[in-house]
Amino acid sequence: MTTRRHLLKTTACGFGSLALAAMCQNQASGQPLFLRPGHVPARAKRVIFLFMAGGISQVDSFDYKPRLAKENGNKRSFDDARSVAKTGKGAEQRVMQSLWEFRQRGQSGQWASELFPHLAGLMDELCVVKGMHTEGVAHGPATLFLHTGTTNFIRPSMGSWISYGLGTENDNLPSFVSISPSLSNGGPRNYSTAFLPPVFQGTPLGRTGQPAAEATIRNLNNQILSSGDKNRQFGLLRGLHQEQLHQAAGSGHQEAVEAVINSYELAWRLQANAPDVLDLAGESAATQSLYGIGQKPTDNFGRQCLMARRLAESGVRYIQVNYTDNSNNPAWDQHGNMPQHKNHAMAVDQPVAGLLQDLKQRGLLEDTLVWFGSEFGRTPYAQDNGTGRDHNPLGFTQWLAGAGVKPGFSYGETDEFGHLAIAGKIHMHDLHATILHLLGLDHERLTFRHAGRDFRLTDVHGHVVKEILS
Amino acid sequence: MLIAGSVPGEASPGLEHFEDKVRPLLVEHCYECHSAGHKIKGGLRLDHRAGWETGGDSGPALTPGDPATSLLLRAISYEDRDLKMPPKQKLSAGQTAILRDWIAAGAPDPREEVPGDPAPARIPARDISAAALWSFQPPAVPTEETRRPRVKDTAWPRDAIDHHILAELEQAGLTAVPDAPPEALVRRLFFDLTGLPPSAEEVSNFNAEACGPLVDRLLASEAFAERWAQHWLDITRFAESSGGGRTLPFKDAWRFRDYVIESIHREVPLDQMIREHLAGDLLPAPTTADRTRQLTATAFLALGPTNYEEQDKGVLRMDIIDEQLETMGRSFMGLTLGCARCHDHKFDPVTTKDYYALAGIFRSTQTLRDYTSNVAHWVDLPLPPGPALEEALQQKDRQLASLQTELQQITALIKTQQPMSGSLTAGGPAAAADLPGLVLDDSAARIVGDWKPSTTYRNYIGQGYLHDKKAEKGTCTATFIPSIPETGRYEVRVAYTPAPGRATNVPVHILHADGEEDLSIDQSVPPPLDGRFVSLGTFRFEKDGAGFILISNEGTNGIVTLDAIQLLSGKDRPSAQADRAAEIPADLDAPARQKQLQAEIKSVQNKPPFRPETMGVQEDAEPGDCPVHIRGSIRNLGPIVPRGFIRAAMIPGLPAIPPGQSGRLQLAQWMTHPKHPLTARVMINRIWMHLFGEGLVRSVDNFGASGETPTHPQLLDHLAHDFIHDGWSLKKLVRRLVLTRTYQLAGSPLPGTASWSARQAADPDNRLLWRAHRRRLDANALRDAILTVSGQIDRRFLGPNVQAGTVDPNSTEAQTLEYSYVFTDLRRSVYSPAFRNRRLEFFENFDFADINGPIGQRTRATIVPQALFFLNHPFIIGQSQSTARRLAGLPPSAPEQERLDWLWRSVLGRTPTDAERRQALDYLTLPSSRPVPTTEEARWAQLVQTLFATADFRFLD
Repeated sequence: MTTRRHLLKTTACGFGSLALAAMCQNQASGQPLFLRPGHVPARAKRVIFLFMAGGISQVDSFDYKPRLAKENGNKRSFDDARSVAKTGKGAEQRVMQSLWEFRQRGQSGQWASELFPHLAGLMDELCVVKGMHTEGVAHGPATLFLHTGTTNFIRPSMGSWISYGLGTENDNLPSFVSISPSLSNGGPRNYSTAFLPPVFQGTPLGRTGQPAAEATIRNLNNQILSSGDKNRQFGLLRGLHQEQLHQAAGSGHQEAVEAVINSYELAWRLQANAPDVLDLAGESAATQSLYGIGQKPTDNFGRQCLMARRLAESGVRYIQVNYTDNSNNPAWDQHGNMPQHKNHAMAVDQPVAGLLQDLKQRGLLEDTLVWFGSEFGRTPYAQDNGTGRDHNPLGFTQWLAGAGVKPGFSYGETDEFGHLAIAGKIHMHDLHATILHLLGLDHERLTFRHAGRDFRLTDVHGHVVKEILS
Repeated sequence: MLIAGSVPGEASPGLEHFEDKVRPLLVEHCYECHSAGHKIKGGLRLDHRAGWETGGDSGPALTPGDPATSLLLRAISYEDRDLKMPPKQKLSAGQTAILRDWIAAGAPDPREEVPGDPAPARIPARDISAAALWSFQPPAVPTEETRRPRVKDTAWPRDAIDHHILAELEQAGLTAVPDAPPEALVRRLFFDLTGLPPSAEEVSNFNAEACGPLVDRLLASEAFAERWAQHWLDITRFAESSGGGRTLPFKDAWRFRDYVIESIHREVPLDQMIREHLAGDLLPAPTTADRTRQLTATAFLALGPTNYEEQDKGVLRMDIIDEQLETMGRSFMGLTLGCARCHDHKFDPVTTKDYYALAGIFRSTQTLRDYTSNVAHWVDLPLPPGPALEEALQQKDRQLASLQTELQQITALIKTQQPMSGSLTAGGPAAAADLPGLVLDDSAARIVGDWKPSTTYRNYIGQGYLHDKKAEKGTCTATFIPSIPETGRYEVRVAYTPAPGRATNVPVHILHADGEEDLSIDQSVPPPLDGRFVSLGTFRFEKDGAGFILISNEGTNGIVTLDAIQLLSGKDRPSAQADRAAEIPADLDAPARQKQLQAEIKSVQNKPPFRPETMGVQEDAEPGDCPVHIRGSIRNLGPIVPRGFIRAAMIPGLPAIPPGQSGRLQLAQWMTHPKHPLTARVMINRIWMHLFGEGLVRSVDNFGASGETPTHPQLLDHLAHDFIHDGWSLKKLVRRLVLTRTYQLAGSPLPGTASWSARQAADPDNRLLWRAHRRRLDANALRDAILTVSGQIDRRFLGPNVQAGTVDPNSTEAQTLEYSYVFTDLRRSVYSPAFRNRRLEFFENFDFADINGPIGQRTRATIVPQALFFLNHPFIIGQSQSTARRLAGLPPSAPEQERLDWLWRSVLGRTPTDAERRQALDYLTLPSSRPVPTTEEARWAQLVQTLFATADFRFLD
């Protein structure tokens, strides 16, 4: 009776691959996150995304532009993204040199400034992409674009797409977590499923502003019951559910009841497992200090990074670590005060370097892709002829490391000023396509039918950047 | 052929150039996206001559012989910001020259043959004409025959609807199951009609024979209006903030919610509601109450998840129109109009021309206050206040007018008293520390350019001041970066030393938390405040934010000086005390009186009464038609399309759109016309779904070719006909539907129901409706049920919940309103603050229903966070405790058995089975835990919580 055609036409998930139909069936019995193969051989099993909200300046960090020092203070015309969006024209701007000195590093000779001294020591591990460009001139639109591939429409976030595509490797933990996310600049939309089934929703761990030491999954603990009472109460729930299941026998409703029962069993296991995974106390003093835990500027982000490693180890598919705050001008947004970049760098540099070293020494870097970046970069000229830099979505730098990407490698470039990407350009859609590819997913085949058509993370765009694959 | 030398067999120099240079270049750099076997982006093919001759969506790619006007050359030159090809990397100058030369030479191209078919299209071609799509056919007028299809078992049907259902069942050789047991039916009726559970007493007292009076009572209840308003608010993507990037609270959105609840309560026909949604401001309004309702209804077009900070306001404008079209199309017509923004709809008879015909109507409608602000703002429409409020408001206006007149006079007086020369050196030096607020001296500024220190004029702050020597205009700036102690609003003041010859146009740029300001100071006149400062206004700054004040000498016409800036929060503004002291003005103390007047005006402005307003839309000052936006781009415009509607659903005899109007009124008339093939059907189908669990068309939001076809097409048309005939009455339709036999069927097998599983095997999806669908309670019903059982529910009808009335959307309060909102109210869920970035946790877990778009059907997922919520969330624990206290308050004589019956009836609408009763009793008599003893009430509370947690509580049989 149930033909494939019938199935495709009527399942709640709509049109799609048979794997998807299978998934819908599994969802009914509470197992929608079952592990499934991708479209192409995977190089990475999981992603750790270190999100640097606000916009790191590429010309002060990894994109060395000697011309800026030569022309420091000169006025020249630039196609400033903000003034182009507002007026359709560029504007006269004052060139501003990097505030931090650049040197070539390691065997690879990659350039890095003094801004990130610990990361500068790991340039041989990094695959630095310097021809990034994206959409959205303001934080909200650009941040949403980074996470969902659109500045304005309601679309699933990248982690949700990946969970949808691959399922989870650990039935006792969520497949997609976001550590200390912000409420602003898109807030929950940056880890939401939109129209994908809700099971692919990202699970927030804590929130920005709350100390990372307190970050946990919501409602993990019953605050008033003793553990004996908890056990007894869960026993009663199981007993009542057995009776309800018995009553539903033969009605065609059993599957729905079983799905609820399964969700409680999973919750019960999560209550038992998650606290251990999130508890950093068992980590050695050496590991903790590698991440800068216990020292003032690095403690908080160090904890977030170490938590990320523990989640990666436990099989969480997509882990986002947020360095942000709840303001409209988040962390790295130095419009008026470039030197403040240093404070933020000091908070993240050692923890990120520690994470890379720790992943490497545990062999996790082989199948974990680490991604570091902001929603856009900053201008190589002073904003309003002042002492800060404005947003620049037209050319900026991010880096990847680990599974499937070339280590100690630079790709792409901006113009002589570090303003516009001109060669080896990677649009944010391209980066999304590439990360999906590394995970074994073809961005053109990872689709979901909604409101009458197929949707993709990359819309109708995106190319896999083969040049950076190892 | 105009191409020189195109003689077969003889390679001309032009063709040689093509073969040697042009073809390889095209293959290497263009074919990946513009050739058969790859992709054909933008509709353009470059793999044969006709490909570029015809061109893609933007027209012919080149004009042979004329490189200057050739689109291809413009694209590769990278001069057009929106058209840069190849996208990854600009061609070298040499490569560009190859193509330019080729075009200049007349673009000889021997590639006559069209290479093989492009990569097989993933979607097979299909007939997308309106004639091929059932939903675009006008509903059939029912005849005696079709109204009451013949059935064998004539005793079974109660309503003509039942005839339709039974006829299909008999056709399939099936029969319906028996009627639902009374306890299931009463629970079904209560939840479906009111979204609330029946009380334990109502469960026991229900008489299934006398259903009608109960239905009438429920239909008349406020709870019915609240429940069905929620369904309506779902499809109109109601929310109380914009969400997204910079979420802004919609202070008046609650008025739209109340409008919907009241309209349903007072039986406003649904077609009228739709007309009011689209054109309420243009409809005749006999009374001010009507005017208020109708203006409020237009909030429908303004409530979208708009990204107000989008910097390209042209894009923003078209994005808003797209959202309006998409929401209107999906909610009222079951169509995905958004698809036609970039190309003709792939499945449905909606063309890009149709899209821009409709877009022209909304392009002629004003949805934003203006299209220039850094952070845009919706339109606030004043509402008619009513006579008493009007009188109070006019009184306030008069008071303000008289204060303002006096202020103008005083200001003029002060001006005349001001000395003309530069002899003013009032005050002398002052230390920054002696001044209130946050003072940043010039020595604390980040300096760019050649500023010279000076102490010539003595009324400076700190050790002196700086000046720019009137040279190098545009090279000197100073940035003051205040270290803000706490997020809030600060008055920004700038100190300078005045003198003749000073610039009158010193630019000051302020970056604050809500945007940027470009202001200007005249340094040739003395600073008005204490002879030192000029105030630039009050702005919001965030702690650890990026705010700064930048002074430059760009474009100035005299010497620019720089002394200090001062930031004053409400707390440290000296004027607050000074103003009070100066309440009795000395005769000639004009500056004091000026200050006092300014304060007084502000205070009157900020006190009630306020003129009531609602968010909504109005006619644009310049209505006009909209051009096709090729591929949806605002910078690639095609032909202008006259405003109009979907041509495949045109209805003859409708008035044309007059030139001076937007066309919304005509749009509303078309949408609700009795002959419109979609609107009534879509609406009935939604109502049917809420009562039966699935629509007659299961894809409730999609009546297009990619949606489903109706299971009972004749029934749908019959209902549409009657619905229109009955004046689009929601209550009449609901009453009729719930009194059918079909609605009242059992949803689960009763002891002794024969061949349930045989029916299940024959029609597992219950498409023929042989039983009632077992349904899931949505988040609202679950929460309201818990609050009802616990007795904690607050049943206040109508009115705002979020107190955002006086909150300026660009203020601190507005930003924190959503992010740190504490959800404490116990009102029905329909009133729960509907912020887009932050919802009540209950809703997040139970239907991660995204209120960013219309929701035809709540999600039906079972996810782990729901289980954690029931096991551990303080809300569930607290409500369980309240329920236990309520149980303890039952007559003391009530034995445990009776208490258990009451609990099971209240939560699950039925009495416990023997096995359940035994388990519950065992649990209640468990030995007390140690070291903290468990009281009897605590044990009951745990039992209640467990019952709330069970699967059966979430389902409606």
